[in-house]
Amino acid sequence: MENTLLIGLSRQMMLERQMDVVANNVANVNTNGYKADRSLFEEYLMPVAHEDNFVGGDRRLSFVQDRATFHDFAGGPTEQTKNPLDVAIDGKAFLVVQTPAGERYTRDGGLQINAQGQLVTASGSPVLGTNGPITFQQTDHDIAISDDGTVTVIEGTNNAADSIRGKLRLVSFAQAQKLLKEGSNLYAAGEGNIARPDTTARVRQGFIERSNVSAVSEMSRMVEVSRAYTQMATLLQQQSELQRSAIEKLADVPA
Amino acid sequence: MRALYTAATGMAAQELNVQVISNNIANLRTTGYKKQRAAFQDLIYDHVRRVGAQASDQGTILPVGIDLGGGVKTVGTPRLMSQGTLSMTGNDLDIAIRGEGFFKIQMPDGTYQYTRDGTFQMDNQGRIVNAQGNPVQPTITIPQNSSGITINAQGQVSVTLPGSTTPTVLGQIGLTRFINKAGLQPVGDNNFTETPASGPPQDGVANIDGYGDMQQSNLEQANVEVVSEISDLIAAQRAYEMNAKVISAADQMLQSAAALFR
Repeated sequence: MENTLLIGLSRQMMLERQMDVVANNVANVNTNGYKADRSLFEEYLMPVAHEDNFVGGDRRLSFVQDRATFHDFAGGPTEQTKNPLDVAIDGKAFLVVQTPAGERYTRDGGLQINAQGQLVTASGSPVLGTNGPITFQQTDHDIAISDDGTVTVIEGTNNAADSIRGKLRLVSFAQAQKLLKEGSNLYAAGEGNIARPDTTARVRQGFIERSNVSAVSEMSRMVEVSRAYTQMATLLQQQSELQRSAIEKLADVPA
Repeated sequence: MRALYTAATGMAAQELNVQVISNNIANLRTTGYKKQRAAFQDLIYDHVRRVGAQASDQGTILPVGIDLGGGVKTVGTPRLMSQGTLSMTGNDLDIAIRGEGFFKIQMPDGTYQYTRDGTFQMDNQGRIVNAQGNPVQPTITIPQNSSGITINAQGQVSVTLPGSTTPTVLGQIGLTRFINKAGLQPVGDNNFTETPASGPPQDGVANIDGYGDMQQSNLEQANVEVVSEISDLIAAQRAYEMNAKVISAADQMLQSAAALFR
């Protein structure tokens, strides 16, 4: 008799987790380069509490459990900002960021320059080029980033020729799902997941990739989760009602 | 329920976003104003089931894990230091910078501040000062009875003195550059001060070594684009509403859970 409650409870717990995932997606609806998460559920067969050898043996009980959240790596919409330090990546590649914990990867192309003249992310970690951090000189102006990520500037009064300051390192992964979200728009590679240079991806200067969260689908998912939860609560309530009346009836000692 | 707090971070972030956008719109007609934008990042994740963990003693590993995110944070409000459009004013002492560089202004306490606002005036001693009366560096004093103030692209100020037919050069208005101009700290009055993030100021003169040139009788308009601000505002407002909806949905779930016990 308790099984209904327990199975219902497993469903409610999973719905709460799914709601957390939806809430995080909605909270990051304006975060540049953010990739939405989705929840995956699986049936979990109760392994012990059944015995099939009897006539009318126990039925298998299936609970629900959340198996995983996976990243939806679909491209987000790109917005034109006309800022020379904004880059959007056309393709599956990531920018490489140097952090104290090692190399991390990001799709957030809102870049800045720090006091040392290095190209950095919004949180100040250097963005790596193919030969290490990209550093600008004091007299550089008119920064241009080409399709393949080559960063050129016009140096001082030399208006004719471009000087190359580096080339953005673009990498992609065979198993992108292994990437681990670390917050701050960064991904860690995950075990055994090797970053390979990506030559097909294109960099677009003056554009920024927005979050790929689809507001409409998140909202409908939210309604779905909230309704399913309420439904389950009603079911559990009816079940407990049933139990209560059973206890009342069975314990009713005739006078 | 985590979703409540996650959505609350989303609401707080969008509130800040609206604040930044409204400041941009308020400064639509502020000379030399550079627009800001809010930059967001996702918060730390709770790896409930870590991806790549061993799923069996056969060495199979989980291809995907369970990561629950904690919401969003604002990482900064960087300034977009792009060139604003120039507009002709006809005033002799209005200067716009076309390209890199800031005017250097000496404050009453001797410190320096930097601005792109070239709305200059003459004070009672004939010095070229900004709208607050603080002199532009290096200080240039225009003699009485002189006429025909000319400022060339290099910032050289020349006037025609009484009794003379040829213009005399009085001095040269300097420009200052920073390696990271987005790292300057705004202090109001259209001025900025240097910070450890901006790097040290490098004084120079206009039109050489990558410094911009000066345009007399012009002012640099704010680089705010109304259309993009308004569309950003709509996006921010909708995002705020959606986060509020998540809170009410989570609340509904909690209510129905609470209703289980009577």
